[in-house]
Order: sequence, then structure tokens, then C-alpha cells
Amino acid sequence: MKLSFSPRLSPFLKPSLFTNVHRSVCSASSIPPPPTTPKPQTPLFLRPPTHSTTTSDLQIWHDWANTLASSVGSTFVDLDNGPDSTLLRRELKWLMEDAIEEPKNIDNNDGSVRLRVEIEELYMLWKQRVEERRPFQYVVGCEHWRDLVLCVEEGVLIPRPETELIVDLVGDVVLGNEGLREGLWADLGTGSGAIGIGIARVLGSGGRVIATDLSPTAIGVAAFNVQRYGLQDVVELRQGSWFEPLKDVEGKLSGFVSNPPYIPSDNIAGLQAEVGRHEPRVALDGGANGMDDLLHLCKGAAVMLKPGGFFAFEFPSIPRFATTLESQNEVLVKAKTLVFPNCDYKTNDEEQCKYLVEYMENDAGGSFCNLNMVPDFAGINRFVTGFRR
Amino acid sequence: MSSFILRRRASSSGSWQLLCPNPEAKSGFFPNLLFSTLSESQPGNLNQPLNPQNVLHPIGKHRILDSGFSSFSPNTSKTPSRSLQNLTFSSSIFVSGSKPLALSSGNAASGKNISGCGVLGLPTVKSLYSGCGRFGLVCLFGTQAAVEPSTCDGLTVDRIIASEWPILDEDESDWKSHAAAIAQSIHLIKKRLQWKKLLVRLDMLSAEVNKPDLWNDPVHAGKISREHGSLLGKMKEVQAFERELLEHVDMVKLAREENDAELESESMNALLNMRRTSKEKEIEALLAGEQDPCSCYIEVQAGAGGTESNDWAAMVMQMYKMWAQRRGYNMTVVDEMPGEIAGIKRATIKVDGEYAFGYAKAEVGVHRLVRISPFDSNKRRHTSFAAVAVTPILGDASEHVQINESDLRIERFRSGGAGGQHANTTDSAVRIVHVPTGITATCQNERSQHQNKASAMAVIQSRVDQLEMAHQNKMNAQYSQSLTDITWGSQIRSYVLQPYRMVKDLRTNYEVSDPDSVLEGDLDGFILSYLSACLDKDEDDN
Repeated sequence: MKLSFSPRLSPFLKPSLFTNVHRSVCSASSIPPPPTTPKPQTPLFLRPPTHSTTTSDLQIWHDWANTLASSVGSTFVDLDNGPDSTLLRRELKWLMEDAIEEPKNIDNNDGSVRLRVEIEELYMLWKQRVEERRPFQYVVGCEHWRDLVLCVEEGVLIPRPETELIVDLVGDVVLGNEGLREGLWADLGTGSGAIGIGIARVLGSGGRVIATDLSPTAIGVAAFNVQRYGLQDVVELRQGSWFEPLKDVEGKLSGFVSNPPYIPSDNIAGLQAEVGRHEPRVALDGGANGMDDLLHLCKGAAVMLKPGGFFAFEFPSIPRFATTLESQNEVLVKAKTLVFPNCDYKTNDEEQCKYLVEYMENDAGGSFCNLNMVPDFAGINRFVTGFRR
Repeated sequence: MSSFILRRRASSSGSWQLLCPNPEAKSGFFPNLLFSTLSESQPGNLNQPLNPQNVLHPIGKHRILDSGFSSFSPNTSKTPSRSLQNLTFSSSIFVSGSKPLALSSGNAASGKNISGCGVLGLPTVKSLYSGCGRFGLVCLFGTQAAVEPSTCDGLTVDRIIASEWPILDEDESDWKSHAAAIAQSIHLIKKRLQWKKLLVRLDMLSAEVNKPDLWNDPVHAGKISREHGSLLGKMKEVQAFERELLEHVDMVKLAREENDAELESESMNALLNMRRTSKEKEIEALLAGEQDPCSCYIEVQAGAGGTESNDWAAMVMQMYKMWAQRRGYNMTVVDEMPGEIAGIKRATIKVDGEYAFGYAKAEVGVHRLVRISPFDSNKRRHTSFAAVAVTPILGDASEHVQINESDLRIERFRSGGAGGQHANTTDSAVRIVHVPTGITATCQNERSQHQNKASAMAVIQSRVDQLEMAHQNKMNAQYSQSLTDITWGSQIRSYVLQPYRMVKDLRTNYEVSDPDSVLEGDLDGFILSYLSACLDKDEDDN
């Protein structure tokens, strides 16, 4: 997902994956995803209810799963800010919703229940969830995000609740601006396609979105999701690293959004098990200070956007609980002073985003205006937005 | 019951029309009466011949405004004249409250209660305490009598009640018994509809509707004409039912004079049918409030006392979930805050269905539990409390209070850590605070933050609407308390599991000796007895 070819990207550097298919923006519907794209797994809730079991067997499974969830207590919270028993029990309820054909009518079906997986697999899935800390969204194969239900699987970043706000930011911007509403937008590093699909639904009838990702798995999953929401004519998927697949639309974008990897490399090991052990590193690791990809995007934004165009990026906020906070800030300051030796940087976790804004204000050749930092619902500065002059 | 309500909703003209297919045609028996009843709703008709009703309106209005005022401020209810009335009526109120079946007048009127219920409707008896300075009351009753429909020989609904004809079983073929039962139902229905207030309000609305500049403000006009239509419909339904009763009485008498056995049995059957449907109408009349047909939120909050109290709150919530299921309502959990060891600290459910608010509003208040706590190793008896609040969900978007985005504070409910890519949690609970009112709502049961926010926002909207309605219409103030307003003193019901077993409503004295059935959601007895007692009391206060 980076422009520079670093060794960790080697699995994706097969030559065939870098032949960019240059297609016209609106013709994606007629062409199936490239043959190299793996077929995504069907999420649990979309599988046919071809298995059946008895209510009593299901009850036994549920009791077992509930006990397993309760046994966790606050162990994971203390360990790495993972889920507690309450949350796991809520997930168990959702797993039932997804796995059972008619979750509300269990008692009315004379003792038998139709399932979308075999009951043995339910045991396995819940074991994976609790014992291996496999993310719940991978277990059920979907993530509820905004008003969407998006298919996800290993190899694709699970869209985060915080990121939902990007769509609201875009929605607000296009509300009073027809030029942006009917224009061409890009979502770089789309993953499951979440942001791309989200903004496609707030744009006008003339609005189009190009969503890119380096990972063929992600492109396959995103294509599935785009199809499910009937947006094949609106969202075009292109495979490649950042701006590479967008050469034909340079200076033509009305809007440009991204949630690039922004976790400092050294922090990956200490992440919550669900993230660190299971989610794709390529979607998380933002280089030594977490800013590599963001800076790359900032630089590119000036070239890609047309005058008046809007951008919104999600960016890092250094975890307050991290024990390596001190060292992180040292790295950060070092990195900043390397890039901008004349600036005086403080070792403050808020500085990271201010630095980004400052960069865009002062050092990007005055290409941007109305730069703004937008906090998420937890009050943490999460997004930087602005317009191309 | 629910199917009946559905039927009523399905027909724009109301079920009365269904049951009495052509009341207008039948009313040809009483051409003058028909005109005079119409004149009540059409005061703007200047061609109307001079009518005693119109002359007496100012007095009637004054009386109603007076009574309206007093019901706005419950604290003033201890005026001498009022307490005298309360004393007089208390016996009949409590009788009807103590048995679920007593809600239907047929039963209430059986045995020694006959005179008690009859007294309520007797103008002559009412006038006994008009000496307390309630001059308007007598006047209005006088006017009412003058324009009331009557049979050929001058029998009116009130006179039927006054005759105290014994009410026998339905299968006894006695027209007087049927007529008396129906008349009592009509009386009860009028009482529950707050009949006299309704007529005055209808007069005001009619005047408003006839103003030429009404539609300059389309929103206001829509509201006025909607309410006018709804009240007019209610009034016409009751009046048609009244006329139908008297027609059939006339027909029975006629048939007897003419020795026409066929006509007599036909009319007798018609009376019997009326008697049966009148029971349904009695219950329907309990739910005549503007918001009664709405869906609603039910919120339960545990009182102080830790695990035992949290467990009690969970039991109360479970009771409402099962009640909703019994009534065929759709139930969804919006917010649930579990207790540390067991139970819940707080929970909100959404109950979707016709008249959900109308019924559930009777549950607002503090519920008390007495039992040997399973959480106490010393097996001591504990008393715990849970508070219940109910909020209607207005169906008509135009009635919503506009909420400014800038007045909202939206936050993640459990924020910790850096979030974003650093964390993967399915917990996307959102808390919204409406800053000007301090109203707070939380939702964590949806699977996305967006949906949690939408659910919490819907709760905020309903609470703000409710607050606004309370401002506009203090009559509903008793239902519009938010949880924080409900003091722990406002206990409404006591559930005792040990040393004896009983659930007792402290407002109506209605009681049930099987707490398990109640905790499994068998609440309708409590709800209906409270609603009827509540409305009957309101009317007596007038």
C-alpha cells in the first residue's frame, strides 16, 4: 500500500498485479473484476440455511458459548484493551442472529432450527473468537458499518466505527455544492469498499467514485460489496498503489478521501490481539512514525484534486495508553525535524495532527485552504479536511 | 381487543359506523334531535334557529375552563367540594378497580354496586351537591337533557340509568336489562372520553376551523382540522350509538303494542349485539388520548441497593418484554446497561404497535419488590425499587420538535485508547446529550455506530417531543415525567414474594395473589383498572 517498495509488501509485488487496467470511469459494471482477484468468502448471514439442528442442541451450544464468554471477565481488557465478557455475550447474540434462519421464532418450530452452518462449526467459530481472539467480524464475515452490512474476510481491514464520520463529512460538503456532488471522487486504500460505497450513496446521480487498493483480496471483497449495493455503475475499482492507478484522472478529482495505514511500525506488536494478530499489516503499518503514507497522500492531493476539490483523511492519534509513548514521540520529533528542520516541534501527542495541518498549510506550496481538524465521537482529533485552492 | 382496534383504525369513519351501518337514515325518527346535535359542532352556522344549547354555552365553557384549570394543578385538588365528591365516589371507583371484570359495566352493576354506579350518572343526584357552589354543573346537565335524544315517550339514556332496571345475564331475554347495560356503557364511555370537555373543545375547534384566515398557517390549520375531525368523529360515534339504543327501545315497545313477535325478537337481538359491542367500546374509550395510539419507549432504572436492585430492574424489564409479546407488539432493546454481578442498572426497550403508549403509560412510576434476596447469604428479606418511564413515539413527523444539531453533544459511550486502526471493537455505543434540556440517551445494541446514533437520536427526539407536549398540555403531565423526575416516593405498585405472595397497585388497590403471572407479563388487569380509575376520577373532579 506504499509507494516505496519496502520488503514487507513483497507478497503483493507479483508483476501481474501491477498491470493497471485503465478503464473509463463509468464502465466498471460490464467488466467483471480482474481474474487475479480471489473470490470472496460468503458471509455467514448470506449463506443458505441448509443445516439443521434441534433447539436443545443449540441451547447446549449457547450455554457453552456463554460460559466461555463469561470466563473471560476482564482478562483481555487488562491485557491489551480487548473485549470483556459483556461485549462477547453481545457478539454471541449477533452470531446467533447471523447463523440461525429465523432467530425470533426458535421456539415455534417444533424443536428444530435451521442453520447457515453446521452446529460443529459454530463450536469452532466461537472457540476461534474467544481463544484465538479472531475478530468477530471475520468470524461472521461481515461488519455493520453505518447503514451498510459489508462483507469482510482475513486480508481486508475491518472498517472502524470512527471512520463512518468521513461519509458524514463528505455528505455535509456536497450538500450545498453541486459541482462536488456530481463530480469524480476517489477512495484510496478502500479495503472492503466501505468509504467508497458510503460516499457513492451521498453523491448525486452524476457523482462517480474510483476506489483503489493494492491488495487483490481487498479488491475482490470490495467488488462483492459494491455489487451487493447495486453501485457497479457508480463505484469503479482499480488495483494498485495509491496514485498509480489514477494517472488518467490527475487534476480531475472533485474529492479525495482515504483511511491510510497510520500505526507506527514499532507499535504493531503491542496492538490488541484482534488487530495485531489477525488484520492485514499492510493496512495498518504507516512506517517508522506512522506518517509515511499520509505524507505521500498529502503531497499527491495537490496534484490529483481540481481547484475547489475537497479532501478528508483519517490520521493517527498516538495511543495514550501506550507504554512506548515517550519513544514514539522521540521518533516523531526526529522524523519531523528531518523533514522540516526549521520548525520547532513539541513532544505532544496532539502535535502529530497539527504537524500534518501545518505541513499542508505552509509547506505544500499553499495549495490548500480551509484546513480543519475534526474530532471523532470520543473527542480525539481523527480527520483532517480541506480544499484545493 | 387488538383486532377490534385494528378494525377501528382500518375504517376512517370508526367502528360505530360499522356496527350501525346507516345511523343517519335511522335517525329519521328524530329529525329535531339530529339538528340539535349537529348544531353543537357547527356553531358558526348562522342560519341556526335559536337553540338553548347555544344560549348556555358561555356557562358551559366557564365551567369547563374552571375544571380544566384545577386538573392542571393537582395540588389544588383538596378543595372542600372536591374532596366531598371524592368521598362520595370512592366506593364505586374502588369496586371497579378491584376486579378486572368490573371494568365492564354489566358486571360492575351487578349486585349491590348497581346503585353506586347509577349514582354517577344521575343528574338528580348530582344536583344534590350542586349546593357546593357548582351552579354550572346543574345548568349544563339541564341543557344536556333538553337536547339529548329520546324515545317517543321521552326516555333518554340518563333516564334509563335512573330507572335502575336490574341488569341480568346476557342470555336473559329482557330488553330492559339490555337497555340498562348499554346505557351504563354509554355513560362510562362518555365519562372516559371526558364528554363535556370534549364538547367544549369541539366548539372551540369548530369556531377555529370556520375562520376564513385559518389556512394562512397551514401547519396550525392541519393540526386544528385533524383534531377537529377526530373529536367530531368520536362525538358522532357516541351519539349514533345512543340513538341506536333508543331506536331499538322504541321498536321493542312498538312490537309489543302491535304483538309483532318477529319484530320484537329482531330488536331484542339488536340490543343484545349492542350490549356485547359496548364492552369493547368501553375499553376503546380508555385509550382516547391523542398519543395513545403511538408506539413507545419503556425505560427501567434500578434503584439503589446493588445486585438485588439490579436483578429487580431486570425482572421488571422482562415483565414488559413478555407483556409486549403477549399483546403482539414488536419489541426491540435499545439500550441495556448490565449490573456488575446480575441484572441491569438501566435499560430501554422500544415497543412497536397500536396503542402501545396508551397501555404502557399506566406503568409509569416506581415498582417495589419485597422478597428474600437470592443474593443475600443470610437469607434476609430485602425491599428494592425500580423506576419506569414511558415515552410516546409520535407518528406524525410534522409534530416533531425541531432539534438543532448544535444543541447536541454526541460522544462514544465507552471511549478509551486511541481508537481508529489501533482498536477493533464491536462496541460502538453512542451517548447523545441534548444540552438545552439535559436529556440523555444511550444506545449500544445496534451493530454499527451509525445505527446506535440513529436509535439514540430517536429516543432523544421522543423525549424532547414529550417534554414539549407536557409544556403545551399539562393534562398529560402525569405521564411525561422523565426518569430523573420520578421520585422514589411515587410508588405505584408493590410486588411481595415473601412472607406472603401478592401484587397490589397502590393507586387503584387492584391486587393479584399470583405474582408469577404478573411477572410473566399478565399486566392488562392492572393497566385497565388504572386507566379506568384514572379517567373516572378525572371526570368526577369536574
